[in-house]
Amino acid sequence: MNPLNITLRDTAAGPVLHVAGELDYAHAATLRQQVDQLVLKPDQWLVIDLSGLEFCDSSGITALLAARQHAHTAGADIALAAVPAKTMRVLTIVGLDRIFTIRPAADTV
Amino acid sequence: MGRNRHGADPSGTGDDAGVDARFTALLEDSAEELYESAPCGYLSTMMDGTIARINATLLGWLGLDRADVVGRKRFADLLTVGGKLYHETHFAPLLRMRGEVGGVALEMRGADGGRLPVLVSSVVKYGTEGEPLLIRTTVFDASDRRSYEEELLRRRRDAEQAHAEAERARAEAERARAEAEQARAEAEEARSQAEADRSRLADALAVLQQSLVPASLPEVPGLETAVYYHTASADRLGGDFYDLFPLDGTRWAFFLGDVCGKGPEAASLTSLTRYTLRAAALHDPDPTAALTTLNAVLHERYAGGGDPRYCTVVFGVVEPGGDGSATVRLASGGHPPALVLRADGRADYLPTPGGLLVGILPTAPVGTVETTLAPGETLLLYTDGLTEARTGPARDQLFGDDALLAFGGAQAPASPQETVAALTTLLRGFGDGLDDDTALLALGVPALPPPARRPATDRPS
Repeated sequence: MNPLNITLRDTAAGPVLHVAGELDYAHAATLRQQVDQLVLKPDQWLVIDLSGLEFCDSSGITALLAARQHAHTAGADIALAAVPAKTMRVLTIVGLDRIFTIRPAADTV
Repeated sequence: MGRNRHGADPSGTGDDAGVDARFTALLEDSAEELYESAPCGYLSTMMDGTIARINATLLGWLGLDRADVVGRKRFADLLTVGGKLYHETHFAPLLRMRGEVGGVALEMRGADGGRLPVLVSSVVKYGTEGEPLLIRTTVFDASDRRSYEEELLRRRRDAEQAHAEAERARAEAERARAEAEQARAEAEEARSQAEADRSRLADALAVLQQSLVPASLPEVPGLETAVYYHTASADRLGGDFYDLFPLDGTRWAFFLGDVCGKGPEAASLTSLTRYTLRAAALHDPDPTAALTTLNAVLHERYAGGGDPRYCTVVFGVVEPGGDGSATVRLASGGHPPALVLRADGRADYLPTPGGLLVGILPTAPVGTVETTLAPGETLLLYTDGLTEARTGPARDQLFGDDALLAFGGAQAPASPQETVAALTTLLRGFGDGLDDDTALLALGVPALPPPARRPATDRPS
């Protein structure tokens, strides 16, 4: 099992969290903790770059929803970038493709 | 020792004349010399104890000069204080009474103050009239014997001490054994307590689980139903749920879904979801209205706390028609599409696009679809434990939608019982790959009875 590896990068538009590995029941809490520590300013964009995501289950979906709530509470926006096809399929089934802003890559707007 | 005695036979019966002569010469050794240099002490005293004669051996042992002793000291003066006391109280009276005393242990005192343990024997010499004249005393050095006795005593003390230590060790071992026994008994009690707790918890979980999914489905006139529920872990209350219940005389409501998370939190969300849907459906049987109400309830309950909770669910209303078919209206909130096994052998998904996870937004869009089940057709609702069951070593090697569609096509036409039985067999085949809860709910219209058999006589014989 590949551990979850999260790296944070700051850009002019806001923080970019690069999530690599498996976002499952065992690891989703790590992403939630990282997100909770982020201090966001109104109108910033929190971008979650999923280009390295290998697996995402419902715990991972919950962590993404928690990140969305964290951003909105701060008056910021959230976008998912480079979503792998399998995860995109799941997001579409549960209707989240219309709730999250989806970007092809982290640096596209 | 025996050899020596044999070699110097004191009886003088030896044959050899030369040896005899030498032995005789030895016997003629001066009696005085023998007295003075004997290997024991000799002394003679007057009846009052005054020393009249003493040999050189004893003087040598005590380091005394003859001139200082003879006529000047009494025998008792040569003893230690303790010896003197014993002499006065025991030795002397006994000697006067019996005329002889043998082998009494006393301690003498040397000129240098040293102590000499001795064995003393005395004999009274009597005159012709029987009157006591003097006392003859022999003194044997008992140092070796004393140290031997002391050694014996010491050994005995050592043995006693060793015995005491062994006894102590035995008692210690006994105590340790008793403590171990007690610890074992306590562990046993804790174990049985834990066992009882576990059993009580299992009972409580079973009761709670019963409140999350019905123990059995009610009979629905004109319809067949079948369910299957697989719990990935006996300790974790399921996050999947389903139900089927009457709305009125003609319509029945059913739902199947999956809440996020696992364990007690998931169970409490499941419970809230199930009873909200039941109550909402009785209030307004429209599937969209039921899910809208559920969304409002879950969002009000959980959103805003930083811990979003949601579910995916398909809610349906089925109404058996008079023509042997049944109308089904479905609403879905982010749940995988239902599958229909048609009477003609096809299998189709019933997509409900536009629906969203229930509970994450104040108002959530709901996807709807409607279909008619003809006789012999079955509608299957399932949770993603089925489509996301792992079919290979890789984590992302999943059973998938396409495989389920193909499986349904291979089964169709099939009754709800046949459909669920086939899927149950399939799920068992996944083994450890089935690592999530999985719920199946199938309902269908019974197939028309097959055409009447032709007469038996027409069969080839």
